[in-house]
Formats: sequence, C-alpha cells, structure tokens
Amino acid sequence: MYLTFWGVRGSYPVPGAATVRYGGHTSCVELRSDSGGCLVIDAGTGLRALGKKLAQEFREPQGATYNLILSHVHWDHIQGLPFFEPAYIGDTKIVVHAPRAAAKELRQVIGGITRHEFFPVDLDAVPADFEFQEVTPGTEFQINEFTVLPIGLNHPFGAVGYRIDADGSSMAYVSDTAPFDRMLHKQHFTAGVEEPSAEDREVLSKMRANLVASLRGVDTVIYDTHFTSEEYEQFPHWGHSTPEHALEICQEAGVRELVLYHHAPAHDDDTMDRIAEKFGVLGKEVNVAVCVAKEKMTLIMGEVTNPGIVA
Amino acid sequence: MKVRFWGVRGSCATPGGRYLRYGGNTTAIEVRADSGHRILIDLGTGVTEFAKELMAAEFGQGKGELPVLLTHTHVDHIQGLPFFTPLFIRGNSIRIMGRELKGVPLKEVLQDQLNGHYSPLYGLENLAAGLEVQTLRAGSSWPAEGFEVKTHLAPHGSTSVVACRITADGKSIVIMTDVEHPPEGISNGLIELARDCDLLVHDAMFSDQEYSLRAGWGHSSVGSAIATAQTVGARRLALFHHSPDSSDEQLDTLVTQASEASSIPLFAAQEGHDVAI
Repeated sequence: MYLTFWGVRGSYPVPGAATVRYGGHTSCVELRSDSGGCLVIDAGTGLRALGKKLAQEFREPQGATYNLILSHVHWDHIQGLPFFEPAYIGDTKIVVHAPRAAAKELRQVIGGITRHEFFPVDLDAVPADFEFQEVTPGTEFQINEFTVLPIGLNHPFGAVGYRIDADGSSMAYVSDTAPFDRMLHKQHFTAGVEEPSAEDREVLSKMRANLVASLRGVDTVIYDTHFTSEEYEQFPHWGHSTPEHALEICQEAGVRELVLYHHAPAHDDDTMDRIAEKFGVLGKEVNVAVCVAKEKMTLIMGEVTNPGIVA
Repeated sequence: MKVRFWGVRGSCATPGGRYLRYGGNTTAIEVRADSGHRILIDLGTGVTEFAKELMAAEFGQGKGELPVLLTHTHVDHIQGLPFFTPLFIRGNSIRIMGRELKGVPLKEVLQDQLNGHYSPLYGLENLAAGLEVQTLRAGSSWPAEGFEVKTHLAPHGSTSVVACRITADGKSIVIMTDVEHPPEGISNGLIELARDCDLLVHDAMFSDQEYSLRAGWGHSSVGSAIATAQTVGARRLALFHHSPDSSDEQLDTLVTQASEASSIPLFAAQEGHDVAI
C-alpha cells in the first residue's frame, strides 16, 4: 500500500512563493493498494489535480467507480469536489463515505456545495452517479481490498479519522482533531475554551484511549498538526493539534511513522523546514520516524524509515 | 484612484510554482480613492492577504469601515469570507452588498456558507465585527462613501452576476467578471454602464480556441473581452478571472496574442499589483 499527498494545507488554499515546496492545496490524499485499487481521503482543493490524473488513468473502460472517504465536511475538506473531473464523465460512480447522521442528509450537505448559489452545476445535473454512505466510528467496513475503521475525533461538529489496512500494511488518517485534554468539541460555536464537565472529561478520555488502541502498530499515521504549541495556547478551541501531541499519541500507540499534516496557512516553507527538523530529532528519541507532508510526496507503507519520495 | 488586485484566479485557487507571477488566489479587487476610502469587490481567497494590510491599519483596532460588493456567490467569490480577519474584530463595520438570486436572499446564502456542517463559525452572528448584509436591487446605484457605484446585471451561464462601475476622483473603473455575453453581443444596459471607462476589468477565462469548447459555461474568451472593451470605448482593459489551468507562461502568451488583436491597451491582472487609474 502506498499514498500520495495532493493537498496538505488546512483552512484554505494558500498560493504564492512561500508555499511552493510544501504545497498550498487543502486536504486530499490518494491511497493505493499494491494491485492498483484507489481510495481518496478528503476532497480539498488538491482533489482537482488528482481528478485530472484519475480521469486520464481510468478513461477506458467506462464505468469506473471512485471511493471518497471524508473526515468531515468543513469547506477545506470538500471544496475540491465540484472540480473532480471524473464527476463529469458519464457512467461513472462516485461513492462518498462520510460521518453524518443519515446518508440522506449527507447528500443534502454535499449537494449544497453544488447548488446554484455556490457552483454553476447542480449535483443532480452532474453526469456521474453519486452514492452516499454513512460511516460510524468503531464500525469497520470494506472497500474492495481496503479494510477501513472510522475513529471518532475531537473537532467542532464532529470528525472521524480512519485506520486503513491492505496488503499487510496499514495507515491512519487522523485529521481534523484537537487534543483530548482542554475541551470537548460539540455541535455549537465556541468563542473560547469551554471548561469540560466531568462527563466531558470521561468522553475525552475514552476518545483518546480508543484512538491510541486503533492506531496500535500502524505503519504510517497522518496527523492534524495545524498549530505549533505556542499557537495552540492562543487557539485551543479551534479543534486542531500540535506535533507534540501527535508524537505523544503515536509513541503510545507504537506507530512507526508520523506524518505532520494540515499545515496552518501562515506556516511558510521555512517554518515547515524548522518543524520538520525539530520533530525529526524528537521523534528519533522516542523511536517514531517523523516527516512533514508535502504536496505530491509519495510514501510507501510498511517501510522502516521513509524519507518520502517526491514525484 | 487606485486599483489593487488581491486575487485574479477563477474557479479554484492555484498554489504552486507555475502561478507565482500572476498569482493563484481567487477573486478580490480593492479600489481606493485618493481620499483614502476603499471598496472591495468579491471575497475570494485573495482577501486573506488584503486582511493582513487592513489589520495593520485601523481594522486591527476595530475602527475600520469597509463596503464590499459581491458580484455573485459562487464559491470562488466568497470562500475568503470565513478567513477575512477584520470580521473577527469587534468594532469594525463591514457592509456586504449583493443581489438576491432566484428568491434566496444574500444573507441566507452566506449564512448557509457558515453553517455547522461547513464551518466552525456556525453562522454570521458569531462574527464579532458589525456585519451588515444588504440586498442590491439590480440596476441601482449604491452609496458607498467616497465613491459613486452603479450596477447592472450581466449574464453568467444559467444565472447572472452584478457588473459595476465605480467612480471617484473623476475616473471610472468597470468590473465585469464571470460574464458571457450572448452571441448577438453585449446588452445595451452593460454598454451604458461601461461607456468610456478608464479601466475595464473583464472576464477572460478562456483563450479563443478554448472558448469554442466551453461556450455556455458562463465565461468569456479573450476575444470577447477585447470586443467589449472596444464597443464601450474603454481606455484600458485588464484580463481577469484567469483559468486555473493557465500557468504564468501561458498567460504571457495569451497577453502577447491579445495585445496584437486589440486596439485598446491591455494587460492581464496580476495579484499584488497596484494600477493607477
């Protein structure tokens, strides 16, 4: 199993000279099994370029099916969807797996981004057939050769991570999430930290324990490390983590490799270099290989040390 | 009067080394009068950079006032709104003006953009700044302090957008983005709006060859932008809303070819560049 990053940025796409090396597109990862099976994780602006590649690859025969799994539907994780080229090829099926109360509501949410106010083409007018599948944290499911386990995360309105196993190797996508100590994110606006109740603390503690258990022995974990620890102190209610927190979780779970992901828009290439260097060293001390996600970087799951192959 | 392009890209932002000179942010245009008054057209990702300049000035202290005109609400024209930091500072007064579309008030569309599914802001009411959303009557004038703003509807595929003429200091700029004029030509209303303007900023998403495959998509060819500029007697033309597939080199070529075909001086809008009118 191997994966390629098409978007590594959080919040919004960041063009310009300061993001050329790490990339400015929002969240999107292409996962491949050894036999060529494809799974797309999140549909940020990176999906546009991936869609062009996939449309080329699967041009013949017609009737391709694409599986997209979404962590949640905040804009930066779905805004590439209207620009996914295979959606405009007839006889194509696109299955969207995401956490929502009901698949029907999910259709409305995704359909909402293509309704006339936001995008020229209505979802019902798109040539491809869309199917919506609800995922439930803790309930494992199968997409072709991929075994997928959704994991509940701590993010405003809710988000899920995924552990995915195939070809005897494993990866996990843990984004977006806040750490599990300061506050429990719920489905309402928070202008600042809300002190967790005793009940909230119990939920957080279970969520954290479940995440660690789910990541046990995983080869490569992609983790939301939007903030430096100093930034996190200012914005602990925004629902994102730090490299320190991600490393702590990965160390506890015996993860082999941690990939820092969902970079803050303000983190330019030089900042990312410094983060890569610092956490490369800290990771070694606890036996976790740490690297920073870059657009177009391909990683092979199951390799002991993996500096990343830049395509 | 001065114009600064903060975002010139259409459809989808384009990070990467191939888009550095013209810029990859989606649409945002600042017009500034000699008096210092500003007006912003559209809230694409370009406003995240504009926000930094505003925050270093009076908007950082919650004393800023800014009128914003939305040409329409397709995502590339509003996706910067949740990240426009002046909206998070109490005391700033930001007035967004746009039109009702198919019976859905502008405020409702922006409210939906920020609903809990899509955004941790959960709604416009959670923005600290005073935000006023006003529905524009098509064809009306709009009083923005320091400017005279006239508007007119322009066709955009199955829908329509607001085109505007902004006048200050005895000069006029006309912005017509996301427009596709019918084959029989630009409407009289739009000709009146744009007549003899000093700068026409016009949709030029497609080269003439590309347009032949994309007719009906709601965007203009470079040829149509030039024809419009000539018809209305514009003094200068800025090609705008660049395709996400156009690299810097391709845009250079496009401009060279367009310049040869046009009797009116033209350039391709570039992010971060000031244009004196």
